[in-house]
Amino acid sequence: MIALLIANSLALASLLIMLASGLALIYGLRDVINFGHGAIYMLGAYLGYTVSLVGGFWLALIVVPILLALLGIAFEYLALRPLQGRSHIEVALVTLGLGIILGQIIIFFYGGVARSVDAPQILSGSVTVLNLSYPVYRIFLIIMGLGSCALLALWLRYTSSGLYVRAVSQDPSVARMMGINADRLSLLVTSLSTAFAGVAGVLAGPYLSIDPGMDVTMIVNCLIIVVIGGTGSIGGAIVAALLFGFMQVAGSVFLPNIAALVPYILLMIVLLVAPRGIGRGRVLN
Amino acid sequence: MLKIENLSVSYGSVRALSDVDLEVLGDGILHGVIGPNGAGKSTLLDAVCGRRRPVAGTVHYRNEDITRRSVAWRRRQGMARSFQRTSVFQDLTVHEQLHLVAQHLGDNRLDDVIEVMDLAGYLHQKAGRIAYGVQRRVDVALALIGRPHLLLLDEPGAGLSAAETLHLFEHLRDLVRERKIAAVVVEHDVDAVFACCGKVTVLDLGRHLATGTPQQIRADHRVVAAYLGTAA
Amino acid sequence: MGGSSLRVPLTLVAVAIVFVVGAVAPTRFAGDFVLRLANEGLLLGMLALSVAFLMNQAGLVALGAASIYGGSGLLFAIAMNDWNLTPVWALCAAFLIIVVYATVLGALIVRTNPLAFMMLTLAAGEMISHAVMLEALRDYTGGADGLVVSFKGTVFGMEAADFASPARFWVVMWVAAWLSGLALWAVGRSRLGAILRAVRENEERMRFSGFDTYLPRLIAYVLVNIVAAVAGLLHVLNAGFVSPESLGISVSTNSLVAALMGGIAGSVGPLLGGVIFSFAQDEFGARGLTQLLTGIAIVVFIVVFPRGVVGGLSSMAWLRKLGFGGRRETS
Repeated sequence: MIALLIANSLALASLLIMLASGLALIYGLRDVINFGHGAIYMLGAYLGYTVSLVGGFWLALIVVPILLALLGIAFEYLALRPLQGRSHIEVALVTLGLGIILGQIIIFFYGGVARSVDAPQILSGSVTVLNLSYPVYRIFLIIMGLGSCALLALWLRYTSSGLYVRAVSQDPSVARMMGINADRLSLLVTSLSTAFAGVAGVLAGPYLSIDPGMDVTMIVNCLIIVVIGGTGSIGGAIVAALLFGFMQVAGSVFLPNIAALVPYILLMIVLLVAPRGIGRGRVLN
Repeated sequence: MLKIENLSVSYGSVRALSDVDLEVLGDGILHGVIGPNGAGKSTLLDAVCGRRRPVAGTVHYRNEDITRRSVAWRRRQGMARSFQRTSVFQDLTVHEQLHLVAQHLGDNRLDDVIEVMDLAGYLHQKAGRIAYGVQRRVDVALALIGRPHLLLLDEPGAGLSAAETLHLFEHLRDLVRERKIAAVVVEHDVDAVFACCGKVTVLDLGRHLATGTPQQIRADHRVVAAYLGTAA
Repeated sequence: MGGSSLRVPLTLVAVAIVFVVGAVAPTRFAGDFVLRLANEGLLLGMLALSVAFLMNQAGLVALGAASIYGGSGLLFAIAMNDWNLTPVWALCAAFLIIVVYATVLGALIVRTNPLAFMMLTLAAGEMISHAVMLEALRDYTGGADGLVVSFKGTVFGMEAADFASPARFWVVMWVAAWLSGLALWAVGRSRLGAILRAVRENEERMRFSGFDTYLPRLIAYVLVNIVAAVAGLLHVLNAGFVSPESLGISVSTNSLVAALMGGIAGSVGPLLGGVIFSFAQDEFGARGLTQLLTGIAIVVFIVVFPRGVVGGLSSMAWLRKLGFGGRRETS
């Protein structure tokens, strides 16, 4: 029972980590919260649906992140850079508007109905581990989630661009003095962030349903995670995503009546106890 | 007036101040704090005025332990500070912001402050639109409102020329002497400090190195070594 | 001097004439359909007013207006249907509960930074719309079906049929919009307004000037939510029905757009923005374009007005670009 609970929460947390860490990355670098992140994830899911129909799930898992990385590049050049001198709130509002536009375009093309994607043959069905039967796809999801999490950590830890990202996230003025090219870094981080959203979108297909409300649901979940994790803290976001996933899953088992509210209750408690979140993010004003 | 004992402040795992003791009297002389980069000068002011909570030690102000009091409380009790990075209300006119604070602190002698800081010509301009040097004076003026007992000035000369800095310091020296209040001024410009401060404290690497008259400090070989150490 | 002292009464007279004519003329000359749109427009305008006030005075963007608007209406319906209160008591109960909710929520979130505040209002709004759809509360809230409210007796001397009549309701709406507009305008010009703007400009300096910066923002937050709650109650009295859509995020974004459209710097702008939005929605809504245009409007209004619609905030960034402030960065 407990093992199942943990496995399920890890599966959910995997998706959340990919999305929330993408949000935290952009925030750390540019002080921008991308309210359109949910819509980008939704685009990833719908594109994943289309590409899966044509060329199968595996192709989607490769093609969609690339397409979304390109979208991220466009986002960087057309939105983030021209708005660099504007207040963070205004940029956040622009991303909110762009997210609404993107969501509506998706709905225009795909209609308002929910879609579903089948997991590929090799990932369908269940496997029995320690007398517990568990869906293979969820195991795959966990591997993907933890794997990308590990890759992200390795990148941040051991590469020079990762070091720069950490430096800028901690103190933009120091980074400027070190002569770090924030623009180039931001291009990398933004496209990485949208590509991650693409992976998450494709992976969500066989696991959750693809529907027109998924963008709002997901961005709200991610915002909760980012706030709980301490805005801008990537480590905090990962821990918060795990916590969030666990609370969500445990809530649906033990408190089915109010499961939908559990994340919000968690948020309110964290706000009450530690208004700056659990991570050591850069608190700005 | 102000008594600091065993004060320690940390940023994460970095210790910015360790075991600093300092006493500042309300005797109308300017108390300068100098030290090489990273000596903990600004951190000291932050800890005294409540911007940063110390990990150890106490701050006594007018014979009361105020280590855990809020920033706003300290200001209402007459402890005022100015900022190294000019901190004014950019979108408010000079008069609007001075008036707002004066009203709040019950100070009806705003004209004094305006005269001392020579701001009469800028009252109806937005603070964001006036020259940087004048903005610095607005910053100090905000701290002077309410007849504070203790002034904490964080690099009032930052961004000003050497001549402007000296001029500002002379102004401050006279003001502090006239009002018989206590004032701690952190400053990069050592010449201005030696010229105008009656007492000088030197910090180095977060530790208290020496306190004395400008003559004593100038003759102190440890101080020379500390400054040379960072220059090398 | 003589000219200006004469001009003040003249302005007052002009405003009074606009007020009276505006209350009466539309009910004579406009058809029910137009009046209905205008009523909806002023309702949205009141929400826009609350969003704009917080943006302009406190530099805070709230994305949760809908939960107060829909929530107060829903509470009124519940108080009528389930608690068997008289209409007036039901109004009071709904109003009180929503104000308590706004105060508790505000106490938690106004101490965060403006960006986190924006995220948290969005999350709180979603929390309420999820709560309403909970299976366990379905008997109360009506779930996805919403609730029908019909009351007997009178409120402010009006019966249910009067509220439902577009012409009668217009007068109520007109007066409510004026009152809330005037109230927020007066607060903006008061000392509280001055403190809020100064906190928006430089929160830390305000604390270092001896001000409590938390309470003023909390008061402002509760105040704008009172306006939103009044709008929600008027809405339910007029419509006789609360739908879960009135709690949805699109109501919040619509009021944001209405505020941006009318301009956030006064009381007239947001109210006007609400009316414009309402008529525009009628024009484009049929083609399912409302949400798309809402998104475009947000982007356009912020990008096209580089001096910043969110007062003050962007002017600081603009100044920093020109090289003021922040000469030396470390010590």
